[in-house]
Amino acid sequence: MTVSFIAIYNALPYLLKGSMVTIGLVGGALLLGFSIGIFLAVGQVYGNVCLRSIIGLYVWFFRGVPLLVLLFLFYFGLFSLLEINLSAFTVAVVVLGLISSAYQSQIFRGAILSLPEGQLKAARALGMGDFTSIVFVILPQALRLSIPGWSNEYSIVLKDSAVAYALGVMEIMARAHFVASRTYEHLPLYFTAGMIFLLLTYIGTKGLRLLEKKVRIPGYTT
Amino acid sequence: MKEKPCVLRVENMTKRYGQKVVLQDATLSVDEGELKVLIGPSGGGKSTFLQCINFLVTPDKGRVWLDGKEILPNHKRDLYAYRQCVGMIFQDFNLFDHLTALENVRIGLTRVRGMEKEESKEKATVELDRVGLADHLHKYPAQLSGGQKQRVSIARALAMDPKVILLDEPTSALDPELITEVLAVIRNLRARGMTMVMSTHQIGFAREMADEIIFLEDGLILETGTSDKIFSCPKCERTKEFCSKIVELYGNSR
Amino acid sequence: MNELFFIQHEVMPALLRGMIISVELIIPSAICGLCIGVVMGVLRVFGGPVLSRIADTYVMIFRGFPLVVQLFIWYFGLPHIGIYLSPFVASVVGFSLCSGAYHSEYIRGALLSIKRGQLLAAQSLGFTKTKMLISIIIPQAFRRALPGCGNEIIYLIKYSSLAYMITCIELTGQGKIIASETFKYTEIFFVVGLVYLALTTVASWLLLRVENRLRLPGFDHYSM
Repeated sequence: MTVSFIAIYNALPYLLKGSMVTIGLVGGALLLGFSIGIFLAVGQVYGNVCLRSIIGLYVWFFRGVPLLVLLFLFYFGLFSLLEINLSAFTVAVVVLGLISSAYQSQIFRGAILSLPEGQLKAARALGMGDFTSIVFVILPQALRLSIPGWSNEYSIVLKDSAVAYALGVMEIMARAHFVASRTYEHLPLYFTAGMIFLLLTYIGTKGLRLLEKKVRIPGYTT
Repeated sequence: MKEKPCVLRVENMTKRYGQKVVLQDATLSVDEGELKVLIGPSGGGKSTFLQCINFLVTPDKGRVWLDGKEILPNHKRDLYAYRQCVGMIFQDFNLFDHLTALENVRIGLTRVRGMEKEESKEKATVELDRVGLADHLHKYPAQLSGGQKQRVSIARALAMDPKVILLDEPTSALDPELITEVLAVIRNLRARGMTMVMSTHQIGFAREMADEIIFLEDGLILETGTSDKIFSCPKCERTKEFCSKIVELYGNSR
Repeated sequence: MNELFFIQHEVMPALLRGMIISVELIIPSAICGLCIGVVMGVLRVFGGPVLSRIADTYVMIFRGFPLVVQLFIWYFGLPHIGIYLSPFVASVVGFSLCSGAYHSEYIRGALLSIKRGQLLAAQSLGFTKTKMLISIIIPQAFRRALPGCGNEIIYLIKYSSLAYMITCIELTGQGKIIASETFKYTEIFFVVGLVYLALTTVASWLLLRVENRLRLPGFDHYSM
């Protein structure tokens, strides 16, 4: 038993460095997903039939194909084919980001659709154009409404980031396995890795809840 | 007496939703300073008519002239410029829920008119003061009563210095005791010479203030005339029936 | 011509073998996961202070640990205390316990959404606890939980690919093997991706049909 604890204690700094990599993966993926997701959501709600079909196809694809398959497809397949040389970390961020964009677009879309029709009407009645009304009236409200759903997405991307191990990215899980294969302390080390993920989830969701409180409009409900 | 110029002219507004004809060949013209009131049963097309005038609803047929110039809704730039000159007050207020009263009034000035921050703040404050809400500048819509919300919405429309204001049943969503404060503001606007087209169930108010009453039912304008004519000797049976029922229900609130 | 021959006789059978393993993984995991979810969900709502706490902790851990970590624990970790599971069994165990935690969330939400007044009415009519469960609670809770649990099973179809990481060779694993032999990574993984896409699409369609079949007028909107 004590051997286990010593092994964990020694491995902890190494594992925690891995959490930096994990945070990098998650942060990059969520940012990419957010940027693309907003455009997809606005396109799906306000775009023409053609645009909506294309976006629908994109969402269907990235929500239907497993993460692992996409990682292999992009890392070993597409990027090799196009002779683009990217690190495993970058590919993982891109793939996680594209998948997240599909899910985030649906979160934002749901929030936009839940706003009363009158908001857009009032904006147009003042003479606001498409861009102005969406950016200054619709999105500020829709994004606030999206925070709970987005918090869920954060926790999902955090857990999915462990799959990047399959490409050799040295995040928490990869490091745990690396140490475990040397010390044979598999169970305690994986449990510790799991606890680190749990901690990161907790910190993230608490932070988002604080954000929700901070940007809350007094008395706002839909 | 000087001829008052025609500010708004609407001809043959028609709107169909599938098979149902919601508005048929509605025609209207309003001179400067006039108040024209639309009355009629709910679902009769009053709301649709008003929203077709500023093209929030795209009519199937119809033409609009503002100050003699025809508005071509297909030219986005012109349409937006036109809307800046036509104010709209909604039954459900439609205040921007994420902005304070002051910011609600300012947003049109800064984001549409391109006014400077300080200037827009001043103007917004003046408009809100005019409708009696100087103490509520930094409140959010959720913190305001219905009557206050509607007054903010009027200030928001006025801040744009419109040539004409369209009011779509401005008091229908209000508790009875709050109706008076909004009617007072509208009365004030009338005194200041604002050109307005309003739909309402407030018959007493319409009778007192309107230059012309227009009775709409099932999308058709059945009768128009001055308030004396309509209420004392209406031509149409339907008009008579409606008016007497309404007076019975809503009374002659002033 | 050689290409076609190759595809027909080497690639397709291998991928098919992999797909069979995938299906063999998914079906038991889905069933077990759902059962665990129902038990945990019921415990969390009706279990009394001790049992509900235990169930809550279970859910917190199995929803908090990444699935990869859980799989590694069952396959690489258990030998530490003398239990040796095959990759297949470890995968099914991992998938069941993990998705069970997610299912319990939907079951719990569905149970909580049933207005208390109905239970009072049932009791005043003389229903026993069991009868109440079967005739009143389950028919409603089932419909409410269906979308969430159905989606969870669709997620399972995708996450079954992670069995590869603990050396269980299902569809994705087969794909990797063949791709590394032939270097046709893009083509193979594209096909593999399309197979999963087909599976998830069919499953979504089935879910929608079942939802529509069981739909009751006015029932869709939760009122907590």
